[in-house]
Amino acid sequence: MTRTLPLLMLVVLTACGGAAGQQSAATQVEPQFVTTTTTPVSVEESSDDAEESVSELASRTQELGSALLGPVRDPSPVPAALSIESLDVSFAPVVDVGVESNGEMEIPGASQVGWYRFGPSPGEAGSAVFAAHIAFNGRDGIFRDLDDIEVGDVIEISYDDGSTKRFRITETAQYSKDELPVDRVFAKDGPPELTLITCGGDFNRSLRSYSDNVVAYAAPIDA
Amino acid sequence: MRKLISLLTAALLMAVIAIPASAQEEARIHLIHGIPDTPVDVVAGGDVVFADFQFGDTQDLSALAGETLVGLQVRLAGTETVAIDAGDTALPASGNYTIIAHLDEAGTPTLAVFENDTSSIAAGEGRLIVRHTAQAPAVDVKANGSVAFAGLTNPNSVQADLPVGTITAEVVPAGADEPVVIGPVDLPIADGSALIVYAVGSLDAGSVSALTESITGLGTAPTAVNTGNSPVGSTVPAWAAGLGALLLVGAVGSRRALVGARS
Repeated sequence: MTRTLPLLMLVVLTACGGAAGQQSAATQVEPQFVTTTTTPVSVEESSDDAEESVSELASRTQELGSALLGPVRDPSPVPAALSIESLDVSFAPVVDVGVESNGEMEIPGASQVGWYRFGPSPGEAGSAVFAAHIAFNGRDGIFRDLDDIEVGDVIEISYDDGSTKRFRITETAQYSKDELPVDRVFAKDGPPELTLITCGGDFNRSLRSYSDNVVAYAAPIDA
Repeated sequence: MRKLISLLTAALLMAVIAIPASAQEEARIHLIHGIPDTPVDVVAGGDVVFADFQFGDTQDLSALAGETLVGLQVRLAGTETVAIDAGDTALPASGNYTIIAHLDEAGTPTLAVFENDTSSIAAGEGRLIVRHTAQAPAVDVKANGSVAFAGLTNPNSVQADLPVGTITAEVVPAGADEPVVIGPVDLPIADGSALIVYAVGSLDAGSVSALTESITGLGTAPTAVNTGNSPVGSTVPAWAAGLGALLLVGAVGSRRALVGARS
């Protein structure tokens, strides 16, 4: 039943949209085909040769290309240093980090930035995550002033192969720790994003922990 | 009329929004052609579904989930010669499956249906799945020189979750070191992804090789990012020396108090 809904909507849309030429086309093709089509454009294209012997089943399948075993892609360049001019962060050393046994992201000491090595390298699809302390064991961390960063500020990443890439802040956010959007922060696909993260909000002296995460999202400048 | 249109527009939007939401629960069914040197036509319901389907190519059948392919046949391309007569074939309504047209151990073309394990993978690991779908006896699969999977036979599947990285794999006859049937090949183990490797082809014809498919999005993101265990301002950034000098007294004092209370 739910599958007939799009059919009705398509027909109505065509009628209201004034595209009278396609109206009959939408009803000529086999109902089963139309119900799984989500755009009127497809209906138009298919209806032109609806009478041809193209299999109705074939129209609903998709060629995915070759499964032949290819060469392994060259490893991506690894980020080695991070600079944020607006925060006076200059070539802060970057180390690659994973996860702790309790499932949390591993974080290096106060004078280093951790790059999440199980995610993308910055500039590749998905979110490349850099985390650093706001303060650790009584020392201010590299991201001490991350909550001062502003949209438009520039971050430069230096890679181990000597190359550099620049990113510009597109969005800043502060989340209660239990509301950190980990699916976005650690996204493995989607447009290339560089995500900076530290702590913020209130410091709880008995838990020795902050209430919030401060996050800044950036996009490549020379995409 | 205007009200009607806006109502319909709203309904249309709801329908459009509803489609991706329900799509996530739908099946994912892929069909792989795993018989070398044998272009085929796939026929169902009396129609050619795919003409000239080539070795190594993949088709996405997900939109046909839950339906029955009536009189499913695989024919040599452009001929009436039936290579595989599968009969009426019901596709699963949900779940993640791969159907592969391949040679059985005796070299006869056949279809195998594998259910793919999409359970979540721990952070820092990827899943390697190896399937024997070749005309060949039992094999061992070596990873980085040691036997990882022993005695794998057609049409069976073995798997393991491994740390991310690249492993060098070889397929050898079970219990032997040579001849190497496939490889050595480098296989990328990616965080949160399943890499499925099919041994395909014919040992007798010297056409054994590997096909792959991957399933992404099975990973586990870190649960939290804890980046601070002490209050800010304990040390003095150069730019804030003046202000910091005032704060420092209080900060160091309170830290001492904390340390003192604990010891």
